[in-house]
Amino acid sequence: MALSRALGARIRRREDPRLITGTATYVDDIVLPGMLHVVLVRSPHAHARIAALDLSAARRAPGVVAVWTGDDIRARCGPLPVGPRIREMKVPRRYPLVVDGVVRHVGDPVAAVVATTPALARDAADLVEVRYDPLPPVVDVEQAAAPGAPVIHPELGTNVCYRMTFGEPVDDALGGADVVVSLRIVQQRLIAVAMETRGVVADPRGGELTVWTSTQIPHVVKTALAEMLRLPEHQVRVIAPEVGGGFGSKLDVYGEEALVAALALALGRPVKWVETRRENFLATVQGRGHVEYVDLGARRDGTLLALRVRVLADLGAYSQLLTPGVPTNTGLMACGCYHIPRAFAEVTGVFTTLPPTDAYRGAGRPEATFLIERAMDVLAARLRMDPAEVRRRNFIPPDAFPYRTPTGATYDTGNYAAALDRALQMVGYAALREEQRRLRERGRYLGIGISSYVEITGLGAAAGLPGGRWESATVRVEPTGSVVVLTGASPHGQGEETTFAQIVSDRLGVSVEDVRVVHGDTRAVPYGVGTFGSRTTPVGGSAVYLACQRVRDKALRLAAHLLEASPADIVWESDRLAVRGSPDRALSFAEVARAAYKGARLPPGEEPGLEATAVFGSPETVFPFGTHVCVVEVDPETGQVHVLRYVAVDDCGTVLNPLLVAGQVHGGVVQGLAQALFEEAVFDGQGQPLTASLLDYAVPRATHVPVMELAHTVTPTPHNPLGAKGVGEAGTIGATPAVVNAVLDALDPAGVEHLDMPLTPRKIWEALRVRRR
Amino acid sequence: MWELLNDPEVLARATPGITRLVPQGVDTYRATIEVGVGPVRGTYEGQVRIADRAPPERIRLEVEGGGRPGTIRAVGELRLEERDGQTLVTYTGDAQVTGLIASVGHRLIGGVARQMAVEFFKALERELAR
Repeated sequence: MALSRALGARIRRREDPRLITGTATYVDDIVLPGMLHVVLVRSPHAHARIAALDLSAARRAPGVVAVWTGDDIRARCGPLPVGPRIREMKVPRRYPLVVDGVVRHVGDPVAAVVATTPALARDAADLVEVRYDPLPPVVDVEQAAAPGAPVIHPELGTNVCYRMTFGEPVDDALGGADVVVSLRIVQQRLIAVAMETRGVVADPRGGELTVWTSTQIPHVVKTALAEMLRLPEHQVRVIAPEVGGGFGSKLDVYGEEALVAALALALGRPVKWVETRRENFLATVQGRGHVEYVDLGARRDGTLLALRVRVLADLGAYSQLLTPGVPTNTGLMACGCYHIPRAFAEVTGVFTTLPPTDAYRGAGRPEATFLIERAMDVLAARLRMDPAEVRRRNFIPPDAFPYRTPTGATYDTGNYAAALDRALQMVGYAALREEQRRLRERGRYLGIGISSYVEITGLGAAAGLPGGRWESATVRVEPTGSVVVLTGASPHGQGEETTFAQIVSDRLGVSVEDVRVVHGDTRAVPYGVGTFGSRTTPVGGSAVYLACQRVRDKALRLAAHLLEASPADIVWESDRLAVRGSPDRALSFAEVARAAYKGARLPPGEEPGLEATAVFGSPETVFPFGTHVCVVEVDPETGQVHVLRYVAVDDCGTVLNPLLVAGQVHGGVVQGLAQALFEEAVFDGQGQPLTASLLDYAVPRATHVPVMELAHTVTPTPHNPLGAKGVGEAGTIGATPAVVNAVLDALDPAGVEHLDMPLTPRKIWEALRVRRR
Repeated sequence: MWELLNDPEVLARATPGITRLVPQGVDTYRATIEVGVGPVRGTYEGQVRIADRAPPERIRLEVEGGGRPGTIRAVGELRLEERDGQTLVTYTGDAQVTGLIASVGHRLIGGVARQMAVEFFKALERELAR
């Protein structure tokens, strides 16, 4: 029973005042006495052998304290961690600087210059003379996987990192279908463009190494640094201060983190590196980057029979922390919301001479949703059926859960038709189709796009590293009754200082204002994992809930003892604990806390204090779902897409705070719409990035954001005590196919069946022009 | 016209941005070029080599250089033919660039190249008139 109405309340984010008044502390705000500054010399070539490296001029430059190359780093630092382990996976070792004399993407770091100011370090870095002998670049993922392609890591003998299959091969079943839809889909590379770029400060003084870094996973970074730098782990402290966005790009252990720490240790002084925006486009991991082949077989009435998917995932030049694992989510989730009797997915991870890819909001699930939702729309168009009807006909029914897909995922709970029906009702689907018919007669291109998604949350970090499908929380009640929550879930904008306080308020009856949530400092909080994969509420929140339950049980025992009653007879109302039937025999929660710390009148065997730590771990992942509907009009003269309506019905199980859920959906939808219409990391045939600035990489502006109409269905998960499923990535997962389906629905009268993202005006205009000829 | 195109001093004067062109062996020159591509301004040190020539019809140049904003490798070919008592000069070129010029300047580089070509041929006309 809830003690307050905090859970589910529309409480404004408590972290926002410091964020919007400029008083929050980010890595670049940290200034230490005697601090040195690092600038990295990065390769301008996608693939080249370093023929000569002359550091002498840089070493003589004013203010320069050290110039390091790969040899210097390899003597002090081991390779970066790579996970997760996939059977027969072939991965190269990577160090913070190039150690084998070969650069493998534009931005690969060659040397590090350390000076007394950032400007002096930059000037000296320009004096590092590097002569490169270019090697053949490998830019196209299909060419990279083909026999005879130049091998990027000769010691591996191939550019193929791994092949992984899901389900059983299905050729005959596809052959038996009345209709087979075959698509080639390009999931373009994306760049996260977090508002705060990466940054690292390392301080070696005081007998421990303190590292401030803009990360989503401070504990994982701490353990990795201890191992890479061969330090006792108790001497390493990692702090994630305010983190200005990550979207997966800071769910990593980066070479710069180890490099800055190694430099600080070697030089005995604090060292800082702050990534420039340009470096962020070259050296921070990127997202997506798949070529996918999809065959979907169905009966004439729209009933699905079989699915075959082949994914070629562009891993970039190296494997970062989760690089190989991300595309495997696409294979696992390829069936989407549908009962498909037979399905087979093959995922091949391939190295190219481009920056590494890794997690990016949704991490493999948007790619899966996109391929199945595009195929469903093309199938509907081929059968001249309504796309909503084809979906409804094939949804896994609500009574079939838990449901195991042929690709090996076990969905917990779902009611996919309920979310679809709600979205269709909100958008006024039948009337819209009628309007579309009328407008088409007048040559106007109105399009309605549906995307029904199911995704997977509560995932763990890489196997082989500490941190899996669990999270820790300590709930500490102070003697005055105020509460401190220590959480391992280190946020970067999610608002857990608000939602976790709501959980405590709900469980212990204290007000939200009386709860403080501490995170991000490995010295302050118990070992934890981090924030990614929409796990903070379902996993981190559940740990807070469990710790509260322990505190609650103890407080009840103490109150019963102090009030000379049985714990079963204590009634906890708001912040008062009273004996049932005798309201004057009562203690406030603060009085119970005070007594717990006084320790004088405790029940026999009870320890003083009022604090509990809990770790929530579940072997089960959970599966949020929903339906998004987008309505667009395409201007055939310019190819411009105008988003007219956007309806999102998301089911993330229990909603802890509707305002924060709406915020996550808003941001997610914008990011998904951006992939559909605007964003693409473009490289030329030589592997040169052509979109390495905010002038060229098309992040959406405020004017591109449609008004969103949001609603929820609530289907709790049985796999955690909150029943919450997580909603951090759902918007992104639902939006991209909804927008693309809408645009292609609009173009249907022109006979355009599929176009690859981003759907820029030029691409649409050219497609229409070709069809008109 | 052919002679003009083979005179390093004329080339140095006519090529926009060239601040230095020093002969270095047969058909090879060390060059310093200052050029701005949109927001990317910089000085490039490099080598210009006459890779092939068929007097008085064709000359092929190779340029290789680098500076703070990136590196460039380019080949260019000029063809001369007589038409109605005048010399018609056609040119083709292909360049590979890296660094800031590629990633920030790429949308402007074609326009800048065309503008530099126009300036070059105008300057050549002036040299002819001397």
